[in-house]
Amino acid sequence: MANKRNAAIVAALITAAVAAILVWRPTVLINGLQSAGLYASIAIPMGLILGIVHIVNLAHGEFLMVAAYATYMLCAATGMDPFLAMAPVAAVTAAFGFVIYKLTIRQALKSPELNQLILTFGIAISLTQVANLLFTSQTRKLSFDYVSASVDIGDLSFGVYKFVYIGIALLMIAGLKLFLTRTTTGKAALAVGQNPKGAAIVGIDVDKTYGLVFALASALVGMMGAVFITSSSIFPAVGSPFTMKSFCLIAMAGIGNIPGILGASVLLGVSENFLKAFRGTRGWADIVFFVLIITVILGRSIKGKKA
Amino acid sequence: MKLKTSYIAAAVIAAVAVASPAFLGAYPLNVARSVMTYMALAISWDMLLRSGQISFGIAGLFGLGSYASALAVLRGGMDPFLSIVFAAAFAGVMAFALGFAILRLRAMYFSITTLALMEIFRIVMHNLDDFSGGPEGVVLPEVIFGGNSSALYWLCLGGLLITIGASWFFEKSKMHLALTAIRNDETSARSSGVDIFKYLLIAFVVTSTMQGMMGAIQVQSYGFTTPETAFDGNFTLLPLAMALLGGVHSTIGPMAGAVLLGIASEWLKLQIPYGHLIVYGVIIILVILFMPQGLVGMARRMIRAGREAGAGK
Amino acid sequence: MSKLTTTGLTKAFSGLVAVNDVSFNMEEGEILGIIGPNGAGKTTFIHLVSGILMPTSGRIEFKGKDITYAPAHERSRLGIARTYQLIHPLENLKVVENVMIGSVFSRGKSLKEARKAAEAICAELELDRLQRDTAQLSILEIKKMEIARALANEPEVLFLDEVMAGLNSDETKQVIATVQRIARERRMAVGVVEHVMGVIRELTQRVIVLEAGELIAEGPYETVSKNPRVIEAYLGGAA
Repeated sequence: MANKRNAAIVAALITAAVAAILVWRPTVLINGLQSAGLYASIAIPMGLILGIVHIVNLAHGEFLMVAAYATYMLCAATGMDPFLAMAPVAAVTAAFGFVIYKLTIRQALKSPELNQLILTFGIAISLTQVANLLFTSQTRKLSFDYVSASVDIGDLSFGVYKFVYIGIALLMIAGLKLFLTRTTTGKAALAVGQNPKGAAIVGIDVDKTYGLVFALASALVGMMGAVFITSSSIFPAVGSPFTMKSFCLIAMAGIGNIPGILGASVLLGVSENFLKAFRGTRGWADIVFFVLIITVILGRSIKGKKA
Repeated sequence: MKLKTSYIAAAVIAAVAVASPAFLGAYPLNVARSVMTYMALAISWDMLLRSGQISFGIAGLFGLGSYASALAVLRGGMDPFLSIVFAAAFAGVMAFALGFAILRLRAMYFSITTLALMEIFRIVMHNLDDFSGGPEGVVLPEVIFGGNSSALYWLCLGGLLITIGASWFFEKSKMHLALTAIRNDETSARSSGVDIFKYLLIAFVVTSTMQGMMGAIQVQSYGFTTPETAFDGNFTLLPLAMALLGGVHSTIGPMAGAVLLGIASEWLKLQIPYGHLIVYGVIIILVILFMPQGLVGMARRMIRAGREAGAGK
Repeated sequence: MSKLTTTGLTKAFSGLVAVNDVSFNMEEGEILGIIGPNGAGKTTFIHLVSGILMPTSGRIEFKGKDITYAPAHERSRLGIARTYQLIHPLENLKVVENVMIGSVFSRGKSLKEARKAAEAICAELELDRLQRDTAQLSILEIKKMEIARALANEPEVLFLDEVMAGLNSDETKQVIATVQRIARERRMAVGVVEHVMGVIRELTQRVIVLEAGELIAEGPYETVSKNPRVIEAYLGGAA
């Protein structure tokens, strides 16, 4: 009972805060939602891997970087639109993710969790440095007219293009939900995620499922990487901040809760843009995320101890 | 007999290390300082690893030490040498305070939190313009010991020896039993009377003090720092790769790894200016997959196998 | 004199009550059997009194002192030791170090004294070549090492959670004799969880029976084994 009342109070406070921000600085909410879409659509594939394979892939952001460079090369060479490049790039990164899984991560599945963490850390560094060797640290950018599309409402003018990320995040959530609950392969993956030993006993090929999930997640990251270059310039280290952000969002939502990742992203995106809205606090916007991640992790550990 | 040889070997190496400035030029001394700094960080990282906790925040405490020392001199007018002691103590006190919260975390949650803390330190230093110099960083009025390259070398060597001494103490005292027991099985350790939190806190505070001290020595030796150099992720990455390559859970492993990789990286830096760090990434992957015991572990196993083969004859 | 007493001890895991309102006591020099079907809460009960788990309600006293919420390492120092059903060797430590650890941290001995104490305990248990890695031990040796490790705490109350599991009948006899001798010589209270009823009959003076977390019977093995509720609990568990 008390819990429900508390939840209601919190919900009311959040609604009031959001309403206040909307009236006072509408751009905070608009930009916040747009970054939330980006964060969520990058975090969701990592959440899929963490939920089913139970591996924190510290090279997740680098997978995005690989996809972005692949798209860049394809589009620069053929003049193709990145949205059209989504399919071929997804195919490439799916294969890439699958090979990385087979060659490295699969070998370490039985090792202590910490070895896996260090292993994916090593993969992340290697990928960044390969990009450094191939492309140098120079930033690259492709420009498209539709990115600058904007809308005027009264005095307010804002870009609408980045709302595409919210759309992608929603599509991913819906697609994964359908995949995991309606298809045989998806149900098998879910079973493996909950209890790999039990799943193996009923005849599910756990290793094949893990490989498939890695390939699927990599394909999703690949699609995101293709869209990502429409609005961001790219460089070898462009992906690494997203690894931490994605992990934080997954931890906030709770492992296995894919729709929750979008909710957590909105919280992070709006808080960051709130600080960015003021000259005095602009430089501190980056800290929001790190404070948030520590708060979430500590909060969960205390809650876990009580339960 | 074996013990005696290893003591003699250690004494000879120490004597050579102390006497190096007499026969080495400025550039080799500079390389030696960089190797010694990474070596001390690698050892300190390993000391905490012996309890099973992987820190990704070495650079955080290193940078914190750098700034504490630089700001103590710049804003507090402290003697540069004293500021190193102050910075080490400051890092230790910070670790003590933070330890109460984060040492309750385990596995990836601990690792990620240490990484996040490092970023927080960096952003704070980036934004405290008036106090810390902001993104431009701080420049000290003068380098410690007037920049004498021999003196700087001995200062760094001193920091390293303190770290080696602490690590050796961890290996030979009951810290070894406590940390290994915690790493192997916390439940079992508790049943044998090990106060897990206490020993984790000791290890965390001691290793953080070492890292802060090395950061302070670094900043006093170069005379300047910025948030991006003090909290450079390489101060986390390189020591980690060195310790893994050499062999974790020992003093000698990280030392061997630091000598090998430190010298190799100086050479590679000249060969491939962009991307020489790939060597570290690849080494981490290969060591985890094929040689989790590291070079020292492998050597030990070979010696044991050789001895058993010899005994069999 | 009563060494260990629990009153109304209860542990619930999100709705599931694993130990329910258990009150019992252990006397000096007594060997007590703790029996019951699988999942009856025997191991949870030992986790509670040794401080590995904290109870939901109830009270635990050690020699009259309230230790209900004392952390495990403190209880170990006070004099409560235990072994684990699933063996927990510290695999990166030598056999002798595994045993020493209790002397060092529970009794505050120096490394040198602790080594001596560990060697003495191992000699008593006929466990030799103490510089070996734990991976080189046989099952019997691992069990002996687990007992030695618990004894290094110099406990007044000792719980043995299925130490005989995996041993053949000769080895079991050997361990039974050792436990009896130790309990007698050191005036310890020993709690034994065991599935083999022959062991319980031979070793214990008194047993308590747990079923679904509740204490359903108490008394000498011969009496308790004829108790209809106990028979039903076992048959029910088997069916």
